[in-house]
Amino acid sequence: MHPTISYLKNKNLLWQANHTQSIDNGQHTGFNELNKALQGGFPEYGVIDIRSQLGIGELRLLLPSILTRQQQRQTELVTLIAPPMCINSEMLAEFGFALDQVMVVQPSLNKQVLWSTEQSLKSGCCHSVILWHASLSVTQVKRLQLAAEKGRSLLFIIRQPQQEHISLPVTLGIRLSPSKVGIQAQITKRKGTWSNGSFNIYMGAYWPELSQSEDTNVLAFPSRVCRTG
Amino acid sequence: MQKIWLYVYFPNLQLDALLQQNPSSNLHTQGYVILDEQTNQVCQLNHAAYQAGIRLGMGLGTAAMLKADLQVIPYQQKITKNRLNDIAQNLYLVTSDICFFNDNGLLLQVHNMLNLYGNLTSYWQVVQQQLLGQQVHFHYATGHSPLAAKLLAITAWDQITDNIQTIKRAILQASLQHTDLTVKAVKKLQRVGVHNMQDLLKISLADIAKRFDIEVATYIGKITAQINHPVSFFHPKKSFDRFIELLYDIENIQILQAPLTQLLQGLELFLKTRDLLTQTLVFTLSQRDEKSIELKVHSQQGEYLAKSWAVLISLKLENITLSAPVFAIRLIVENTYIRTPDKSDLFAGNQGRLSRLQLISLLQAKLGEAAVSSPTLTNDYRPEQVIQNAEGLTKAIQPFKLYALRPSFLLTPPQLLQEKVSIAFGPERIETGWWDAKPIIRDYFIARNQLGQWYWVFKTPKGDWYLHGVFS
Repeated sequence: MHPTISYLKNKNLLWQANHTQSIDNGQHTGFNELNKALQGGFPEYGVIDIRSQLGIGELRLLLPSILTRQQQRQTELVTLIAPPMCINSEMLAEFGFALDQVMVVQPSLNKQVLWSTEQSLKSGCCHSVILWHASLSVTQVKRLQLAAEKGRSLLFIIRQPQQEHISLPVTLGIRLSPSKVGIQAQITKRKGTWSNGSFNIYMGAYWPELSQSEDTNVLAFPSRVCRTG
Repeated sequence: MQKIWLYVYFPNLQLDALLQQNPSSNLHTQGYVILDEQTNQVCQLNHAAYQAGIRLGMGLGTAAMLKADLQVIPYQQKITKNRLNDIAQNLYLVTSDICFFNDNGLLLQVHNMLNLYGNLTSYWQVVQQQLLGQQVHFHYATGHSPLAAKLLAITAWDQITDNIQTIKRAILQASLQHTDLTVKAVKKLQRVGVHNMQDLLKISLADIAKRFDIEVATYIGKITAQINHPVSFFHPKKSFDRFIELLYDIENIQILQAPLTQLLQGLELFLKTRDLLTQTLVFTLSQRDEKSIELKVHSQQGEYLAKSWAVLISLKLENITLSAPVFAIRLIVENTYIRTPDKSDLFAGNQGRLSRLQLISLLQAKLGEAAVSSPTLTNDYRPEQVIQNAEGLTKAIQPFKLYALRPSFLLTPPQLLQEKVSIAFGPERIETGWWDAKPIIRDYFIARNQLGQWYWVFKTPKGDWYLHGVFS
């Protein structure tokens, strides 16, 4: 082999098609289908671009892995930046999050959103940051990527699917669409591998009520929960 | 024990304070005087002004004639007092008994400090070191009484000795103008041929008391240590309060950083020597002809380092605009507490640059305190009451029963349901709150709309349907 090529290979700068190594150090997402598609799980740190409508389970898809991260790094924070609506603390607490380790940042200006994200990422005291943001440029994502590497933090950017279609330099890109059993996902971008089409993720294990099997349209008789104060 | 006093006289406090603020200014080369507006006399002057022939006590007219490009600054007692207070605070670190004399001198009681320092020379070395660090001009002298030391210091004797004979000889040389006697008393003495201390001290105290005012007699008695001279000693303040007058008005926020840094460094020294931390700084920026701006800088984690505060302050400053030039800055720090070292794990590795509290302070400084919150829970069945966002991070409260199947996002307030949905789960009735003003009776359902979004909807007894949450 040419010495330059072997040098590049050693430096991990060269990628070969037969070189789809399975990433074992990835963190399990809590969903088998997603783990399989990602060959392990979400990366340890970096930027993950998630394109999804609101309310189809996009946040719930992330919660198990973020909870795992929180348990591993107990002194650090989960930061939610510019959520579109008021975050329901009861849901977070019920899922197992310690609420004093959750920080919600709601900046008033668009410019401040990215600033807060960058600060949180590179501070080294946030293991995960979730950002709801509409438009991002390539340079902005690169900056966030560097900040995430510096603070060894994982950034999830959740944005609407119809927004601009330029390819952003993210570690992982996922497109989500609604599905009856849980959520339908398609890996649009991932370092080192090909996309293998869309697949369904079953979420019934965590939220049986928010998952319907595809074939049955019959509603089970509602179990009546009555509460009076 | 033989009593020894040390008097330190600061002739140019206000000028020194100005120079310290603006090291790059032309105070070295340009002639500057401080004018006491009440007596219309020059009360402080720099070297350039002295060389031009200007002397203390000169009128403004004479001074201006001697030097055409003379810069005149009005005397402000507040600045001088503040500066003197700072010096006393610093000296207190090495010597215990400090007493303020006028607005420009400090009296130190030496004899009881000699046990600690051994002899006068080593004591003076330590005190001198402290004084040199303050970047002020000073003259000093020792004396066997407070007033003797003062008189010698004002005549710029600049000697440290515990030999009474030497001191007495030096006093005899002093002229009456340097004494604390009033101008009237000095004139009276001159009329009878008493022109200097030597003449005056020849006369016995009893004779002086007979012929002159009681004031002259007391002064002589005190200077010769025949009459006891009570002094009250200084006790350093617990809190930090510093005021700086700017040499010129500042309109630009960027330039304002330099005097702020100076204040912060003073604060750092103050806190460091006492091993204290603080969480809140209050700056008052006095604007010319406008209301002064109060700038409160808060840090979640106690800090003392000027560097850490400077970052927070620069973020705060981005949000304010000056409507008029700033001419003075005051920094007050009221609450301090003893520092407890952070116990961090040596082996944890990968420790961030900032702590959690530092990050929150940083975000709050830029975005405002309300923008950063932490979700909290209240023990209530009503979904609106359960969630309350607390500013900053709060401690977890007592656990209570939580209900599954709550949406990730809540709409505040709930909105009328506008679209067609199919119900997937429910109902769950919540009927509560009859004891206060916000009772609710609602049947909650989980529903899915045509686009596949999961909604949390409820039906009121009237039959209205509302959208309350989204299961993201």
